[in-house]
Amino acid sequence: MTDNRNYLGHRNGIPAGRRGECGDYLLYADRLYKTYPDGEVRALNGVSLGVHQGEYVAITGPSGCGKSTLLNMLGVLDVPDNGEIYFRGQPLTTRRDLDNFRARQIGFVFQSFFLIPTLTARENVQVPMFEGPRLSARERAKKADDLLALVGMSQRAHHRPMKLSVGERQRVAIARALANDPVLLLADEPTGNLDSENADKVLDLFTALQKDRNLALIVVTHSDEVAERADRVVKMRDGRVVADSGADIIPTSDSAATS
Amino acid sequence: MYFVSFILKNLARRPIRTVLTVLGLAVAVGSMIALLAVSYNVERSVEAAFDSRRVDLVVMQKGKPMGWDSEFSEYFVRETAKMPEVERVSEGIVGNANIERDGVLVDLGILLVQGWKPDNFGYEDLQILEGRRLLPGDRRKVMIGSTLANNLKELSKIGPIGHRVGDTLTFVGDPKNPYEIVGIFKSPVIFEDGGAIVPFEDGQELHSKRGKVTGFSVRVRKSAPDSQAEVETVKRKIEALRDPDDPYVVVVADTPDKYVQSVSQLELIRAVSWLVSVIALVVSVISLLNTMTMSVLERTQEIGILRAVGWPRRRVVRMILGEAACLAAAAALVGTVIAFLGMQTLTKMPKVNGFIEPDLSPWVMARGFALTVMVGVVGGAYPAYRAARLLPTEAIRHD
Repeated sequence: MTDNRNYLGHRNGIPAGRRGECGDYLLYADRLYKTYPDGEVRALNGVSLGVHQGEYVAITGPSGCGKSTLLNMLGVLDVPDNGEIYFRGQPLTTRRDLDNFRARQIGFVFQSFFLIPTLTARENVQVPMFEGPRLSARERAKKADDLLALVGMSQRAHHRPMKLSVGERQRVAIARALANDPVLLLADEPTGNLDSENADKVLDLFTALQKDRNLALIVVTHSDEVAERADRVVKMRDGRVVADSGADIIPTSDSAATS
Repeated sequence: MYFVSFILKNLARRPIRTVLTVLGLAVAVGSMIALLAVSYNVERSVEAAFDSRRVDLVVMQKGKPMGWDSEFSEYFVRETAKMPEVERVSEGIVGNANIERDGVLVDLGILLVQGWKPDNFGYEDLQILEGRRLLPGDRRKVMIGSTLANNLKELSKIGPIGHRVGDTLTFVGDPKNPYEIVGIFKSPVIFEDGGAIVPFEDGQELHSKRGKVTGFSVRVRKSAPDSQAEVETVKRKIEALRDPDDPYVVVVADTPDKYVQSVSQLELIRAVSWLVSVIALVVSVISLLNTMTMSVLERTQEIGILRAVGWPRRRVVRMILGEAACLAAAAALVGTVIAFLGMQTLTKMPKVNGFIEPDLSPWVMARGFALTVMVGVVGGAYPAYRAARLLPTEAIRHD
């Protein structure tokens, strides 16, 4: 009997049979499947993962193993073919206001920073605030200043990305990710474009944010150094979780599901 | 930072492309505004003149939409004047004429020469700038409009030609030349300002319409200023008149606004202005579509990021439409300036300045602005739709 169930129809929270497994996770991915239409390869093959508030999780694995796909699913940038993602026990994929959810609860940090070149650091940080809690222009600017101070970029607030070093750009990108005070920070290879000194600074910043803001931090990385700093390391291969250093490991996939 | 600042900064990203797009749109929009203004000004000036001259009905020959090719017997004027409901009538003869200098034609384009009787309604709002108006008993005298006077003055720099009070003008084909200029006037009607007025009888001879009129205006005795019942009665009675000597000639009596709408020259100006406007709008939409599509394509990754940080599709649409609307608004402003300068230039050209008033009314500007913003919305709609459809994950991966 396959457990390849689709929970997209469950609007009232975690299905009764899964409540025990979801526990008190902030975010719980329940048997996610994803196959891209342009290929036969399953990017995700029944991945389940639970993340607690304030937990720092590193997802590692070889290229093409589905790390980034999983991160996109967790960040509701993409939806699984099968499976469900629960946030504080509520299913996400059937929500109509995913944009709003993303704006208020999730911060993204990318390998290539993706700052808007025409805006200053201060303005870049304000971009997500158009969709967060309602703030006046003055309040947005003040909050951006505070966030830039938090990441040590106050002195460079009025510089455009081209005038910033790569390390500085990533710190601005982190400040942007914090714009709407998210509870979950997702980072895709955040140190991939940084030298070791800047990578250390960014990782220190992540650690500090995790502790100070009680952020759940999920980082996709190839870097052992990044993984070493995490509370928990999840290893993936061929679209599956093959190892999880966390104490409360959730079964990655049913044998039936892989058949 | 305000959302609108973000939009403006996006436009500033490619300043040359933005400026070129605005200029391209502005030229199209400028031509549209200029033509709308020309059309509007001509109609408005004619309507205003009829209004100030308190004309209730304009009588012209039926089936002669050109206006000045209307021609019928003075019998209609006389019979209308006898009607008890009619307060006064004012007939005129209108035609195109040419001026010659030393036997050589002076090319002034269309020069309207009207023949007026001394009691013509037109004198009531004619402003005499120099000399005097035409008086009873005057023959071979002419009053020239201020625009014509200026045109002739310019021509006098090339060779002698009458342009001042006391000078003479020679009309081509009139055996009783020359005409003495007795006055220079300013009329509220644009084409009157670019033309000349001669005594009624001289006009009939000049245009070879002896015993005929081009048309006449009627003031009706009304029980109340806005009463239309008497006007309608007089209209029916005039249209029922038949000249015993030429019973096949039929006249129509229209209210001034209806008359203005029916004059074929004005219809032509309107039609041309709308045709050019439509072409300009289509060109503008395509131009904007091209610019905005390119802009969206270049920023695919960035739009993916905006979606990733929580921007919903509607905000992406607002951003793209906002950029398109800003381009269109800038084009409308520059286009208005281009239209104004273009019209100023046209008023210096003797062949057309008798028909163009370099005036941009708020109504025309508002209409031009509204049409241009519509161009912005239409031109930005498809790129906005494309941008909104982008999936964040695919957009971020876009190279």
